Amino acid sequence: MSAVRRWAALTRRELLKLGRNPQAIATSLLIPILYLILFGQGFNFTNLLNSNPFLSPDQKTQYIHETFLGAPDYFSYFSAGMVGFVAVTATLFVGANVIFDKLFGTLKRTAASPATATDIFGARLVAGSLQPVGLAFLVLGLSVLLGDIGLAGLHVSVAVSVLGAAEVVVAILLLSVMFASLFLSLGFTIDQPQTYFAVVNAINLPVLLTSAALYPWGLMPVWLQTIASYNPVTLAVWVLRITFFGDSYYAYPAWVYLAGLFAWAVGMFAVATILTRRALAPRK
Amino acid sequence: MADAIIAEGLSKTFNGSVKAVDGVSFTVKEGEIFGFLGPNGAGKTTTLSMLTAVLGPTGGRATVDGLDVVRHPHELKQRIGLVFQEATADQDLTGRENLELAAALFGVPLRDTPKRVGDLLERLQLGDSSERLVRTYSGGMRRRLELAVGIVHSPRVLFLDEPTLGLDPQGRAGFWKIIEQLREDSGMTVFLTTHYLDEADGMCDRIAIIDHGKIVAEGTPSQLKDRLGGDVVTVRPIGTADSLEASLKALPGVTNVVQQEGVFRVKCPNGDVLIPKIVGAATSLGISIAGITLQRPSLDEVFLEFTGREYREDEGPSATDRAVFMTRLQSARRGIR
Repeated sequence: MSAVRRWAALTRRELLKLGRNPQAIATSLLIPILYLILFGQGFNFTNLLNSNPFLSPDQKTQYIHETFLGAPDYFSYFSAGMVGFVAVTATLFVGANVIFDKLFGTLKRTAASPATATDIFGARLVAGSLQPVGLAFLVLGLSVLLGDIGLAGLHVSVAVSVLGAAEVVVAILLLSVMFASLFLSLGFTIDQPQTYFAVVNAINLPVLLTSAALYPWGLMPVWLQTIASYNPVTLAVWVLRITFFGDSYYAYPAWVYLAGLFAWAVGMFAVATILTRRALAPRK
Repeated sequence: MADAIIAEGLSKTFNGSVKAVDGVSFTVKEGEIFGFLGPNGAGKTTTLSMLTAVLGPTGGRATVDGLDVVRHPHELKQRIGLVFQEATADQDLTGRENLELAAALFGVPLRDTPKRVGDLLERLQLGDSSERLVRTYSGGMRRRLELAVGIVHSPRVLFLDEPTLGLDPQGRAGFWKIIEQLREDSGMTVFLTTHYLDEADGMCDRIAIIDHGKIVAEGTPSQLKDRLGGDVVTVRPIGTADSLEASLKALPGVTNVVQQEGVFRVKCPNGDVLIPKIVGAATSLGISIAGITLQRPSLDEVFLEFTGREYREDEGPSATDRAVFMTRLQSARRGIR
């Protein structure tokens, strides 16, 4: 009971702090919004394909579906990918907050209390993983809205079942847990914010650029497709795309990708738990 | 009275070479206020960190409230309170939220928490500002909040690491009044390190002085001062009174008499007891006294005696800082090779 209470109290602290820092939420949301409004509208592969006079309408549709794995257009494909992007960019703040708590002495105070490393890590993980889920749904909602006002937008081409919606939530949650664990590990082991952000940038860019979040799958070289198919961001956005556009172009059903994502999340969670315990143990 | 804190040969060596604490042994009785003094870098905070299970010792053993600091760190943390020298309260939470968080972490029963937190905020004069974010608090308010966080669970042993650093005299006096009240109410044991020797003199039942990682003196403030040879009574007779010197030397307890420019400086353990005898001796010789003053040795002099240096707030770095510095130095040297 006391462990649950400690964990709940620490989670409340994280959520209170988050709620009092709307700038952080706005910043987390601003980047994906800019991507949707600027990059998504301007960098639209579908227009390129539609302008090809040598392809019949059927050929164009088939080519689009093959290139975007069943999505009706690039923006629809890309907006699902942005959810993966958001999970990565929003969770990096949880690690940064650990470093700031070290600098301001707050972590020292918590570590000197009966709170265990599991309590401290768990509370931050929960708060850090919930935020991207909320942001992800804002991104999806905005993407649909853009389509409704005549711009390129998210067009869901199959009926989304309750199970499918649940799979989307689980996929975003697992991806968030995985990246929150990664960034918390870094936060607990690195002391300087400058070093942290340098390492995070060195991780983020390769992770996103070796995923299928932004690239049209059909245009990726085979070697990059091979790498991307193991990338957790790819696994998560594939679950979203299967739910939104059907599974005709995928080798496996969504649950297989969820299982892969689960393995990533569990693995990173285990590593983070060990590193956090080590960081919070009495110094030798 | 049982021992609340027992340290036996407690040692801490950083990186195998920097000896911050070198086999210190002492006991603190239940309900005592025990002061741990020493120059910066002497090992005060390192010792306190080991006793609070924040830092693992490399030698010796210690128990706090009967719990071994290495074997039972979790249980230990539930029974002790710790007030750090720096501000550790969360600045983005209100004073009340900080206390509620601490209450939950230290296992204060949920049903008791609102009353305990409310009472503590009032007692520490933070009631009116309890709903404000801590970032808006003054230095004194933050120190009081730190104390509140440290005692919200009514700990059996309270560790204070330079608790009044940076407070004005009024703030310091108020802080110690609260500590004294807490001890009276709950019989709590207090272990403190402080930069202010007058605080240690006035507040502590016993004191240990640590220097270069070793305890160089231990006792009550009076005992430590007595070890310097006691009080100095200055006698200013009217006119020439050379004959007084022999009489003063003959008084029981007098250890030394120095006459300088017609003024006698008499050294003795208990000057207040000796003054009537001095007056009596002078009267019997027909010597009138213009003035007589009693000067007790201060803890500053005790500190000077045992550490060989005067107490200053801006001395060298702490033992931990020295260890970090040495590590960096060693890394740099390895890099050069």
